[in-house]
Amino acid sequence: MTGSNTPPAVRLEGITKRFGDVVANDDVDFTLERGTIHALLGENGSGKTTLMSVLYGLYDQDAGRIRVEGEPRTFESPRDAMGAGIGMIHQHFKLVEPMTVLQNIVLGHEPTENGMVDESDARADIEEICSRYGFDVDQYLDTPVEELDLSAQQRVEIVKSLYRGAEVLILDEPTAVLTPQEVESLMDVMNDLRADGRSLIFISHKLDEALTIADEITVLRDGKAIGTVRADETSEQDLARMMVGREVLFDRLSRETTPGDPVLEVEGLRMRGDRGRERVSGVDLTVREGEILGIAGVQGNGQGELVEGITGLRSVAEGTIRLHGDDITDTSRRQRIEDGIAYVPEDRQRDGLVQEYSLVRNALLGNQTIEPYANGGILDWDAVAAHAAEIVDEFDVQPADPEVDAKSLSGGNQQKFIVGREIGHDPDVMIASHPTRGVDVGSIEFIHNRLIELRDEGLAIAVVSSKLEEIRKLADRIAVMYEGEFIDIVDPEAVDEEDLGLLMAGHSLEESDASETDRGVQA
Amino acid sequence: MTDDREGRVRAMVDRAASRMLDATVLERIGIAIASTLLALLIGLGIVAAAGHNPFRFAYQLIVGSFGSERAVARTLRYSVLFVLAGVAVAVAFRAGVFNIGVQGQFVVGGFATVVTIVRVAPHLPNGTGSGIVLMLIGTIAAIVAGGLYAALPGVLKAYSGANEIITTIMLNFIAIGAVGWLVAGRFGDPEATATRTERLPEHVELPSVVFDDPNLSIVGILLTVAVVVLVAAVMARTSFGYDMVTSGYQETAATYSGVDARRMIVSTMTLSGMVAGLGGAVFAIMIQGYFTDPSGIGNYGFDAIAVSLLAANNPVGVVPAGLLFGGLESAGSHIQINSDVPVQLIDGIVGLVVLFVAVPELFRIVARRTGLGGDDE
Repeated sequence: MTGSNTPPAVRLEGITKRFGDVVANDDVDFTLERGTIHALLGENGSGKTTLMSVLYGLYDQDAGRIRVEGEPRTFESPRDAMGAGIGMIHQHFKLVEPMTVLQNIVLGHEPTENGMVDESDARADIEEICSRYGFDVDQYLDTPVEELDLSAQQRVEIVKSLYRGAEVLILDEPTAVLTPQEVESLMDVMNDLRADGRSLIFISHKLDEALTIADEITVLRDGKAIGTVRADETSEQDLARMMVGREVLFDRLSRETTPGDPVLEVEGLRMRGDRGRERVSGVDLTVREGEILGIAGVQGNGQGELVEGITGLRSVAEGTIRLHGDDITDTSRRQRIEDGIAYVPEDRQRDGLVQEYSLVRNALLGNQTIEPYANGGILDWDAVAAHAAEIVDEFDVQPADPEVDAKSLSGGNQQKFIVGREIGHDPDVMIASHPTRGVDVGSIEFIHNRLIELRDEGLAIAVVSSKLEEIRKLADRIAVMYEGEFIDIVDPEAVDEEDLGLLMAGHSLEESDASETDRGVQA
Repeated sequence: MTDDREGRVRAMVDRAASRMLDATVLERIGIAIASTLLALLIGLGIVAAAGHNPFRFAYQLIVGSFGSERAVARTLRYSVLFVLAGVAVAVAFRAGVFNIGVQGQFVVGGFATVVTIVRVAPHLPNGTGSGIVLMLIGTIAAIVAGGLYAALPGVLKAYSGANEIITTIMLNFIAIGAVGWLVAGRFGDPEATATRTERLPEHVELPSVVFDDPNLSIVGILLTVAVVVLVAAVMARTSFGYDMVTSGYQETAATYSGVDARRMIVSTMTLSGMVAGLGGAVFAIMIQGYFTDPSGIGNYGFDAIAVSLLAANNPVGVVPAGLLFGGLESAGSHIQINSDVPVQLIDGIVGLVVLFVAVPELFRIVARRTGLGGDDE
């Protein structure tokens, strides 16, 4: 594919980037050969995005050089980087939602004639790009971006970069928001782009995806490049060891306990979303002692509202919620915390932690009316501090200092702290929403093991996740949620990821019983 | 691509905001002192430019604020009001609710005190004992009135989303106008030449004890200290305080932890208004002895916003900030009498101090609110 006489598409030499005392990138070398896909793999906070932001002109490096096509370059801004043929698809799309697809694509690059925007040329150019790569974006050109689903929005972003003549595309965690089927079609697109001679950088922390799509894989850990390997000469185990710095176990965890009595029972639950639309349309579920109920589904199918209904953060439109047989449908959030419903929230930075608070102060969050931390409304900070120290110790939170602010912790450590805090007041049921999203491999393993241990100790747990391997690893039963309903309840042993992916996309499993494929299954 | 340019600008602002947000308490105190000195220095420059002797002005500034026992008493008298009103503002700001209506709550509270005492007094015998009872009843009336008057915009914000900044500002005008009308009419003293209510009875009088100043009482000072300690303790040591402060830092996390956001807004506003009303009671009983047209009583509730910002909305920090404002106010009234420097110039210099000292804090709050600063990598 590449001869020794062609310079690489991008070469980063000795890139160092510091933020204050933190070294985000430490003397990193990285070479992207032309016409290849190079995966940049690493845990959260390992410096992947920082490195690419340096390349894309968002940050100035403190040391090191950037070469594009062999030429040394300095980028003052993303505009310069784009001028050199580098495009970046950010993890959070940079699209203007009320504007149409076409307007978004030409934004900042509007073709003008006599000072007026002339879209006809742009339209032709975009249609040409779409037909070349088989994108379906051209049929939506006049649709506002906000009406497209996430995977279509992502294709708009890719077309936008290509329209500006990007030869090098940086994709920052592009699969995070996609269903398995959508991931496959993204992979097809990436293959086509590579076949067309473009060079791609694929940022990920998912080992299997990197192995599937990439030619070469560079692993970052703590801001350092640990090594670059060819995808066909390595394995998940090797990559995981490079990422984490030790052996990681991937096998499914055994389940030998039998579930006990029902703890949490939900019947005919209906919930409305923020805009008044019904988001949960009649869900029944039961979580028993010593079992993990997995709730799978593509984000935005009502899982968020379901969880808010159970935890008391959103009022219920219809239906009942019972805890140990007592009707708690109309109780407040605080009452439910005191009754023993623990909750690991989906958005830990927004909800689960006060960023500006120390870990000690955060250890009180949710516990501010619970003994021994509070007695008759008066707080006992010594007890809280002891609790914080306990969590930090038991859950291996780094840095191991309860006085540091929550915001200075990495995602994984923040999450470990939250899990530790939530099980701290001996709950009866735990709702864990995307418990390992954006969490590094080492912490994922730790959190999974703790959840399994808690289940074995008899805790009733419901895990909501869009990560299939997580659901399959943890759940004793899997409820698949689609458009506000449980489309099916399946035994994790009996289905593969393909089946789950189909269910998540709203297809029922053909080989299953007719009675089970009915909407509104009881979990 | 405009969003990337914005991204860069944002990153730049972010770094600047980070610097400010990360300032330590000691740095902030340093910044506050330096700002005060710098503002005074520039003020002296303006005084000189206006043709007055800046050295004489500086000398009178010092003499007027703490140069004599009388000056100290006057400074403390103003400070008591600034501290109480400042604590009222700080309570709300810490909880993320912008109560700009402290002036109005102060006025309503003070007026309620005078009306209650004047109306109840005839039913009680004269004497020190009933004087104390009357003052207690009057103070409670002020706390209730101030609390209710602040609860109203709280309810409006919580249950219909009305912006509390706007509603509290409007309610200031309403309070000042309505109380002014009542003082001039129904509750006015027909025998007085000025527009004011009847005088409080003779026996409704706080003892001065330490300073021989009829308008400053040790009781007022001790009460203020007690309020500061109590509010600080509630914030730091109670579940309610934790709920409140957490709501101010991150409302979503507070909701997650079981705080009812709406109820918290109403509680916060009520508490803030109660402290403001108490300030009004102290003003009415300790200083005025009656209640005048509120449009002319001084902007304690407005200046309290600057006091609170200067103190980073910390109730304990409000004490030195309130003393600074009390000192400037006191020096201002001294200079006004003892020199030919026009009063507008003095107000201007106080304004400079506010600007220099409070604006960095304001930036900090805005930065925190807009999510700028702090590390996102």
